[in-house]
Amino acid sequence: MHKYIIRRILQFIPMLILVTIVVFGLAKAAPGDVLSGERLDPNIPAEVYEMRREALGLNDPIHIQYWNWVTTVASGDFGTSMQYSGRPVADLIASRIMNTVYLSLFALGVTLAIAIPIGIYSASRKYSLFDYGATTFAFLGLATPNFFAGLLAIYIFAFILGWFPSQGSVSAPGLSGIELFLDKLRHLVLPGFTLGLASTAMYMRYMRTEMLEVKGSDFIRTAQAKGLSNNSVLYKHTLRNALIPIITLLGLEFGTLLSGAIITERVFNYPGLGQLFLTSITNRDYPVIMAINLILAVTILVGNLLADIFYAIVDPRIRYD
Amino acid sequence: MKLKKSWLTLILALSFVLVLAACGGDENADAQEDNSSAENNDNNSNDANDGNDNNGDDNAENNDNDGNNDAADGEPVSGGTINAGMYSAPGQQFNPIFYGDAYEANILDFTHEALVTQDENLEYIPLLAKDWELNEDQTELTYYLEEDVKWHDGEPFTAEDVYFTYSSIASGEYVAAGGVRIDYVRFLEGYEEYRDGETDEFAGVEVVDDHTVIFHFAEPNVTPEFRTSFPIIPAHVFEGVSVADMVDHPASRNPGEVIGTGPFQLTDMIEGEQYILTAFEDYWQGTPHLDGITWRVIEQSIMPGMLENGELDMVAEPNGVPAADFDRVDGLDNVKTFTTQDFGYQYMGFKHHHRTAEDVEAGVINPDNWVPNEKVADVRVRQAIVYALNRQAMVDGLMNGLGSVLHAPFPEASWAYDESAFTVYEQNVEKANELLDEAGYVDVTGDGFREDPDGNEWVLNLDYPTGNEIRERTAPIIAAELGEVGIKVDVRNPREAATHFEVVEDDNTDWDLYLAGWSLATGDPDPAGIWKSDNPFNYLRWNDPHSDELIEQAVKAPEAFELDYRAEVYNEWTAYVTEQVPMVFLYSSDNIYAYNAALQNVHERPTGIYFRSHEWWLAE
Repeated sequence: MHKYIIRRILQFIPMLILVTIVVFGLAKAAPGDVLSGERLDPNIPAEVYEMRREALGLNDPIHIQYWNWVTTVASGDFGTSMQYSGRPVADLIASRIMNTVYLSLFALGVTLAIAIPIGIYSASRKYSLFDYGATTFAFLGLATPNFFAGLLAIYIFAFILGWFPSQGSVSAPGLSGIELFLDKLRHLVLPGFTLGLASTAMYMRYMRTEMLEVKGSDFIRTAQAKGLSNNSVLYKHTLRNALIPIITLLGLEFGTLLSGAIITERVFNYPGLGQLFLTSITNRDYPVIMAINLILAVTILVGNLLADIFYAIVDPRIRYD
Repeated sequence: MKLKKSWLTLILALSFVLVLAACGGDENADAQEDNSSAENNDNNSNDANDGNDNNGDDNAENNDNDGNNDAADGEPVSGGTINAGMYSAPGQQFNPIFYGDAYEANILDFTHEALVTQDENLEYIPLLAKDWELNEDQTELTYYLEEDVKWHDGEPFTAEDVYFTYSSIASGEYVAAGGVRIDYVRFLEGYEEYRDGETDEFAGVEVVDDHTVIFHFAEPNVTPEFRTSFPIIPAHVFEGVSVADMVDHPASRNPGEVIGTGPFQLTDMIEGEQYILTAFEDYWQGTPHLDGITWRVIEQSIMPGMLENGELDMVAEPNGVPAADFDRVDGLDNVKTFTTQDFGYQYMGFKHHHRTAEDVEAGVINPDNWVPNEKVADVRVRQAIVYALNRQAMVDGLMNGLGSVLHAPFPEASWAYDESAFTVYEQNVEKANELLDEAGYVDVTGDGFREDPDGNEWVLNLDYPTGNEIRERTAPIIAAELGEVGIKVDVRNPREAATHFEVVEDDNTDWDLYLAGWSLATGDPDPAGIWKSDNPFNYLRWNDPHSDELIEQAVKAPEAFELDYRAEVYNEWTAYVTEQVPMVFLYSSDNIYAYNAALQNVHERPTGIYFRSHEWWLAE
């Protein structure tokens, strides 16, 4: 097992190098740079922009730019943002990453807490009114784009009912302790449910399908035949086996959550990584884009690794040695 | 971006449906809605008038408005805070000499001040300097500073701070550290020597005593107030800090540590969400009436809802209220709106010349090497093109009328703008046809499109960028209207803005017409930055000795020391430009600002509504 994990981690390295090359190449292939386009102000002489480009190293050959970037990253420094007048990228990310983590965890919590019980219940009452209701909800949830669900939620729960705040991650600076925690939680509700909506719908369907599939297998029939109680069959035998593919999906889910967060964070002006990513892309702020990409890549790779490890735990048939 | 726009439209449509649904269920709400739509119409017509007054530069009217406000609403009361909204977070650089975006400017406008500011005619009036005088040949500008000004940390403001601000911008480390505002120092004496480290003393700014400072210009300068209108930063705070380190210094970044002389101080923030300005009690023009202003970063699509339910009290620069939301916001009882001409404008450029590939490669701008573009060389053709276009219809149709047709490259509020001085083109298809016939462009093949005087096919290529929906929708309209007079236009696939401007700069040789935007100079009207033939921003590659001559003449000492003389030359230049049609001015949109109706004493200016914010107060 340990060997396997170490081997997998070593495999990360070429993967990451590849990811950086692709990301850097794409970023460079896109036209323009942080100083281009309509940001030009006629009061600022053109040569100043040329001097800025020179100072930022944007006029160096591409491989040199890549090398400079990789070496600074390798030394544990993500460089400085071009857009935010020289702020360290690490600072920018640090100030936002926790918000995204909270949001993702909240959304994931919502997803699991809703999807798994409903999926199980739907499967055990196949073609019941409840099952049809859940299916309808699932399709609606999948078909509703994130931003739309978000605005709808703002309109209903923030503007009409006034239950939850519509924007931001906290209502005022200077809160602390339990007050801060509750305030942050209140701010998480709308974006969290919005972000969790699509995956809730998806997991509900997966759960239902998996349960039905496992229920049809031989060992369940055996369990039923030897006279086990319905509950025991359902929770001990069917559920555990039905969860295995869900775990793989969860490993990938972190990446999905982060990309979904880009839009959700924007609608709710929830200052997380996604929002930073979006502004950096529109401003062509490569150091920030690349750093966030790296973080995304590592998250997805680690997510997959964790999923594989959990596999071994829930499914004793799987051995990595 | 495009994707986002279409989403927003969808959302708007849906929220509209929801509003209707909500009203249907509730009689009260119905009545309310009726009320507000009646209100709406009233407001609309009022606003249209207001806008005209302001645009029409009617001083007395403006002052009157302010006066009425005061009289009607009684004595100011102190207290209360307001929430102001912007759609994107500031980049968190709160040092004026390094700030980069309009969102930071939104905060700095309240926390920092310059020696002078502009009035409603865009002329300079005192701020931190109570008075100034120019020497005979306009090389020395002596400022007498206000004496009781305190920084937010209680230290007195002196001439040393002025020297410090300008010498920091003049420093050799400034541009490499991210600064771009050398336009404020490069005309001062000794700039190059100081920048290159040949001397430790910046000769351009001389401190006479604590409250007197002299700016020395290397050559007679006709825009000395503009060149010295940069916000002042505190010398004592940055003492011993190199310019390179200043960017990341806590006093450039952290709330509570950012020090200015303005009526409000940045005291706290939640990064990316809220920026809290607190009234500065010792403000030299008197303690602000408001206790504070909280800038909130919000999503644009829900802004009208937040204004309506009172979560938001102000939406102003840089984006204001989108034209599509204007009716809704203007219809709110608790909100006042103010529209003013945006200083950005859209135009259709002619590529008069193309640079050679070698020059592009070498980054050289040398008008002598340029290759003329014969397709648009005839002035009658260019005039015919303006006559063929119905620009007013574009404003009405594409911007709900919230904008104006542009005729000259100066803000309407500027002293350099005089509508009687130049040709105002209205759509005149007959005239367009006449001009084209006269120029020899006639349809010889009978396909409905004109050929050039030699009988060859004549197609004008039109290129435009994505990213500005109104501009995007303008392109096909232009093509259709030019088609009406027999000009064949090839509207090419739009490019993403950054690429578009790269090609504009690099002079692709098959370009004839292109769409783009510029901003009107608000500081000083000198058009050299965009219009002078050898300037890199002369994207038109218009090479006209007479225009260059006039542009130079308008800033030539000593005659140009007289504003009247300059105005006269600019009128002559504008007349020449409108006659030659180097570009087709299209339109400028309106800036629409909205603020809580309870907020009193807001000065509505062409430059915005932040003027004298310490006088704002909240009525009960």
